[in-house]
Amino acid sequence: MMDQMRSQLGRVRGLGSNKHGVGHWWAQRITAVALVPLSIWAVVSAVSLTGADYTTFQAWISEHGNLVLMLSFVVAMFHHANLGMQTVIEDYVHGEATKITLLITTKFIAAIGAISCIVATLKVALTG
Amino acid sequence: MVEFTLPANSRPTKGKAHPAESGATNVRTFHVYRFDPDSGNNPRIDTFDLDLDKCGPMVLDALIKIKNEVDPTLTFRRSCREGVCGSCSFNIDGTNTIACTKPIEEIKGDVKIYPLPHMPVVKDLVCDLNQPYAQYAAMEPWIKTDTPAPNRERLQSEEEREKLDGLWECILCFCCQTSCPSYWWNGDRYMGPAVLLQANRWIQDSRDEATGERLDELDDPFRLYRCHTIMNCSNTCPKNLNPGRAIGEIKEALAKRQ
Repeated sequence: MMDQMRSQLGRVRGLGSNKHGVGHWWAQRITAVALVPLSIWAVVSAVSLTGADYTTFQAWISEHGNLVLMLSFVVAMFHHANLGMQTVIEDYVHGEATKITLLITTKFIAAIGAISCIVATLKVALTG
Repeated sequence: MVEFTLPANSRPTKGKAHPAESGATNVRTFHVYRFDPDSGNNPRIDTFDLDLDKCGPMVLDALIKIKNEVDPTLTFRRSCREGVCGSCSFNIDGTNTIACTKPIEEIKGDVKIYPLPHMPVVKDLVCDLNQPYAQYAAMEPWIKTDTPAPNRERLQSEEEREKLDGLWECILCFCCQTSCPSYWWNGDRYMGPAVLLQANRWIQDSRDEATGERLDELDDPFRLYRCHTIMNCSNTCPKNLNPGRAIGEIKEALAKRQ
């Protein structure tokens, strides 16, 4: 261990408080609360659209309310998934290099996933 | 830290068996963890058959009987024998608790006594608590004020004083601290339930004037927010306190000032 000779108090104080813990926690709670109605809406909509053809779907998604809810669902879901994965990685992965690689990869996947869903949804809804 | 394989010398082996004295009728078997890091041997589980008719009612009485009458090399911490000093905390019958207030009668079958989980073992049932002690010191568990000291006590209303109930009673036995998986994996950075309960004891104290500073120190994804409300802490506390709720109160205070 690198800081074998360091006092226990010095080790515990470490690099100090990061002073931004509450933001992550709060965002996780807010997205979780938002996802309760949004997920139910998404599942119910998917089920009710079973077997529908493209034109029906296009008409459905281009309705203002459906488009807003769909985009909200996508943003909340990817944001929440990213925060959750970050927590899991910080909990269980302890090699510094692996941890940072995984954290960055997760953020990229979440960002690309969210952007590609938003672009696809807007394309279908606005241009048909 | 999460490790899927055990480090060398950590798998316990079968140890010595000490049969009960002849003529004993009310015999219970105690399995006790023994480890001497200096010997280079693996830990072992020794077995002691004790006559409960000649033993006090608590698990600590059995340990003292073993040390006095069977094997004087058995090493463990104990002091007050009445649940106020927090020394004799062990993992008993699969749950962290203090041996002095744990009746043998409550345990079905053989009694298993291990050190507190996931801490370095100094010898037998004595584990190294330097890290939690340093964490306790790091949260500065004393009153901090800028108002000049009054000539008498610092006053508090009955309602203000009531906020400390459920917090001041903690005896720092670290049963909760060492029952928390989050503390097992990230104990180097996560303060742990016992220390956070103590931190909340000062955050809730109406006489303290450093509440904001205390919250600043805890506003950290590891120090405080590694608590994932697993609630082992509140299940295991031998004083029936609720560290889980205390941590919730700190999170609430931080959310309020956002």
